[in-house]
Amino acid sequence: MHAVRCIDVRKIYKQGDEDVIGLNGVSIEVEEGGFVCLRSPSGGGKTTLLNVMGGLDRPDSGEIWIAGKRIDNLSKAPLARMRLHRIGFVFQAYNLIPVLTARENVEFVMQVQGVSVVDRKKRSLEILSEVGLEGLEDRRPAKMSGGQQQRVAVARAIASNPAIVLADEPTANLDSNTARHLMELFVELNQHRGTTFVIATHDQMVMGYARRLIRMLDGKLVEDIDQEAV
Amino acid sequence: MGTASIVLNLAWRNLWRNYRRTVIMLMAVVVGVWAMIFMSAMMRGMVDGMLVDSIRSLPGHIQIHNPNFRDDPTVNNLFPSPNENLIAVLEQEDVVAWSSRVRVPAVVMSERNSRGITLVGIDPVAEVSVSSVADDMTEGQFLSGTEDTGLILGRRLAERLETEVGKRVVVLTQDPSNEIVDRGFRVIGVYEAQVASTEEIYAFAGRSTLQMLLGIGGQVSEIAVLGADYRDTEALHHRINTAVGNRLEVLPWYELNRYLSSMLGMMDGFVLIWIVVIFLALSFGLVNTLVMSVFERVREIGLMMALGMKPAVILGQIIAESLMLLGMGLLIGNVFAWATIQQLREGIDLSAVSEGLEMMGAGSVLTPSLQTSDVVMATVVVLVLGFLASLLPAVRASRYHPVDAITKV
Amino acid sequence: MSITFRLAWRNIWRQPRRTWLTVGALVFSNILLIFLISVQLGTYLMMIDNTLAPLTGHLQVQYEGYKDDQRIHQSVPAVRGLAADIRERLSLETIAARGAAFALTSSEDRTYGVQIIGVEPEFEPRISTLPGLIREGRFLDDINAPEIVIGAVLARNLRVQLGDELTILGSARDGSFAATVVRVVGIFESGVVELDRSFAEMPLGFFQDTFVMEGAGHTVVINAQDLFSVSTLQQQVQALLPDMEGLVVHDWNDLQPGLRQAIQADLVGAWFMYGVLVILVAFSVLNTQLMSVLERTREFGITMSLGLTSGRLGWLIMLETTMIGLLGLGLGVSLGGLVVYWFTVNGFAYPGLELAAQFNLPDRIYPNLNSISLLVGPCVVFLASLIAAVYPAARLHFLQPVQAMKAA
Repeated sequence: MHAVRCIDVRKIYKQGDEDVIGLNGVSIEVEEGGFVCLRSPSGGGKTTLLNVMGGLDRPDSGEIWIAGKRIDNLSKAPLARMRLHRIGFVFQAYNLIPVLTARENVEFVMQVQGVSVVDRKKRSLEILSEVGLEGLEDRRPAKMSGGQQQRVAVARAIASNPAIVLADEPTANLDSNTARHLMELFVELNQHRGTTFVIATHDQMVMGYARRLIRMLDGKLVEDIDQEAV
Repeated sequence: MGTASIVLNLAWRNLWRNYRRTVIMLMAVVVGVWAMIFMSAMMRGMVDGMLVDSIRSLPGHIQIHNPNFRDDPTVNNLFPSPNENLIAVLEQEDVVAWSSRVRVPAVVMSERNSRGITLVGIDPVAEVSVSSVADDMTEGQFLSGTEDTGLILGRRLAERLETEVGKRVVVLTQDPSNEIVDRGFRVIGVYEAQVASTEEIYAFAGRSTLQMLLGIGGQVSEIAVLGADYRDTEALHHRINTAVGNRLEVLPWYELNRYLSSMLGMMDGFVLIWIVVIFLALSFGLVNTLVMSVFERVREIGLMMALGMKPAVILGQIIAESLMLLGMGLLIGNVFAWATIQQLREGIDLSAVSEGLEMMGAGSVLTPSLQTSDVVMATVVVLVLGFLASLLPAVRASRYHPVDAITKV
Repeated sequence: MSITFRLAWRNIWRQPRRTWLTVGALVFSNILLIFLISVQLGTYLMMIDNTLAPLTGHLQVQYEGYKDDQRIHQSVPAVRGLAADIRERLSLETIAARGAAFALTSSEDRTYGVQIIGVEPEFEPRISTLPGLIREGRFLDDINAPEIVIGAVLARNLRVQLGDELTILGSARDGSFAATVVRVVGIFESGVVELDRSFAEMPLGFFQDTFVMEGAGHTVVINAQDLFSVSTLQQQVQALLPDMEGLVVHDWNDLQPGLRQAIQADLVGAWFMYGVLVILVAFSVLNTQLMSVLERTREFGITMSLGLTSGRLGWLIMLETTMIGLLGLGLGVSLGGLVVYWFTVNGFAYPGLELAAQFNLPDRIYPNLNSISLLVGPCVVFLASLIAAVYPAARLHFLQPVQAMKAA
């Protein structure tokens, strides 16, 4: 089964009076356990594609399937449920709730998912240690470095054991060393948990970790390279 | 462009950057100002109503008495009818009307009941312009002249006496030598007063008829004078006082009715308190809005200072923003209040609680009365206090250090 | 404490100044409302008391129709026996019988029409404040003595002093001529001109002889413990009345319809003022919460991308508002309670109030602080805050995660 499957997805934005083509007939399939990088210049459509895949944005036409379930025609509430349980997001920066500690950020999502108090205490600690944040559980985001914050975001994203984690420029605000460590964490989670990753980036270093590299331009896929085969 | 116009321009544009916040705050100011003006007009209207009713129900603006009359309002304390000197004053232009009366305590007896009253002998022709008795007639006729032998009763008194128009009653009173004198009168009319308790107190007869009964010749108990405006009786009071000399006591309404004049004084206090209270309730929101708007613009303010804008200009800009907001609120609020008051200018009928209003000395129709002084007071209070309230956020904004402000996220 | 609670609590303290200003607005209006409502309640109770205490009392047993017509023959037979009987059966001491008649009262050189009231000297002081307002001389003490107490204004008008004699002339119950001479033993001054000018009291026994009442009177006045137990007492008294005699029990509202109406008239104005205050506070809360929602748009976008529904975020805003509202409620009630309590002990006056005595208003105001006057205002303010937060909370419903995350 595919973790995510897009069939002829189109999306047009209005920007002022002009129509901007976001996605122009994109079809793509990502295998379960895949580790994919999307690259494109700014405005090439990679963020739009991620948003559409994650059910944050609705395509004008085409179909989106996540773990065998079609989501492009879902209404708001089931879509939110889908994101809650099957999809994890990691954004550029500032994507934690600033007033909650690292652990509370992770637990908050679990609470919404309906995980019991005892379970979520235990599991949030496990996950935070899995992403290498042992000892920092009770810090608030403002007291953590950018890299540490991103690890909390990753812990939060994988808390629900999602079918797929979508990461939009996760390293954009990090120095290269921290970025490398974050990518190593992604790879590790991909290998040990079998979590599927789709990462939008224009960082060469990040692309280096990808097993599959997809290049987009003007809302179209222009290149799809299997880097392992290379 | 001068600095002032730049400041005003910036303030105006900044005000509309977060239009939702501004609109909400504006709505609050409008509701507040509307309530200030409307409520003041209602309070003024109530006191005005009380005054007008009270002045019209008998006293007039100025009254002339024998100096002992107010202490002992009987037939023993009379004075001769006005001499030429006084008449000359009373015929001047600023006197709308005047009327001389005889007032004595009396007892009215019907076949069934008797009641103590104040019997007033009037000249119906003169009285019509001074007091409202003739307007309030509900049954029968008004007196036709000073020699009319009929009697006018209040509705409630007629009910108590179980009598009606056309029936006879006996009036007992005392003459100056303390002898009881009595006379039969035919009830020729019944009146209803704004304040129903007056209906039980006053009965009216022809002045000459009463003077004859009492054997007092042309003497009278009081002269009531109606000037142009009850708010301005000083000049008239002075002139009459000079004309009559110190043989007689000349008093304006506000000394005759202390309760009303103190109500009038208290209303000034109430209106001010009400305006200030409303402003205080508004001020929390106002300061909050300004603090937020400064907080959001910290970087921008830092940038402007880095570009060489003086702190005083920043200060002025924030205060200008606040005053513009309040100014708009005042304008719209006043317009709404004026419109509401226009709608109600026929008066609000409160007859459902008339007996209660009577306890407070008010009639049952309340007409709001918009006073320029209240509008001015509300405007001044709002702008002055608004200026003070915006000082805090404005001073804070002007004290930012440019570099700190720019680097602040 | 669940994470949602912690989240809400910490969120309101992100901008402590703003939260305190909002709480300040709530506390301000709460204190004001507690004060005004307590003052209102206190004034009303005193106004009722001052109006009823001199003569009316809480309940009166009368012959049917007497209230409106006040004819001398609409009488209660054996009125002292009836009063004694009710006194005994209810084990209540605040009950007294009266008779009333209009009469011409003459001194040596003056005559006035006066309402003469026959009272039981032993029981009248328990139901009326007039015996306590004697300024000169004493109150009546013998039920059959030819004595009278009159108001100060009447005494001045009649030009009489203590010990002087007055001639009373009126019609007796049987239609005959009633005439007698009484001695002035006391002069009362209530401050209410109407009372001081046209009322006089004489002993009931002597009154009955003078007006040929044959043991009858006109009212039995009954005072309850307090205003709130009047209606129960009214039913009890009604049940005790002998049948077939056409007797009725009127409560103070029947006897003084103006009183309740005066309160109602005053309430209209008061509700308007309270309404305006509450609306202004609601605007303040609305503004704060809307700002708080708008500046967190980006954060809300991210939480929505994690799978939180807008409804859930809406509840978060309502929870935050509840916390702010409860802070305002708690602080407002405790501070307002303290401030107003001080006034309930010490009272306050304002200039001009002394003239209000004419209208049975007190010259010094003591607010009445009880659970109702303490809590009604703050609870309404609290509810209004919640209602005001509905708009900002509902706005979240239209939030699109992608747009939200682009927000600054």
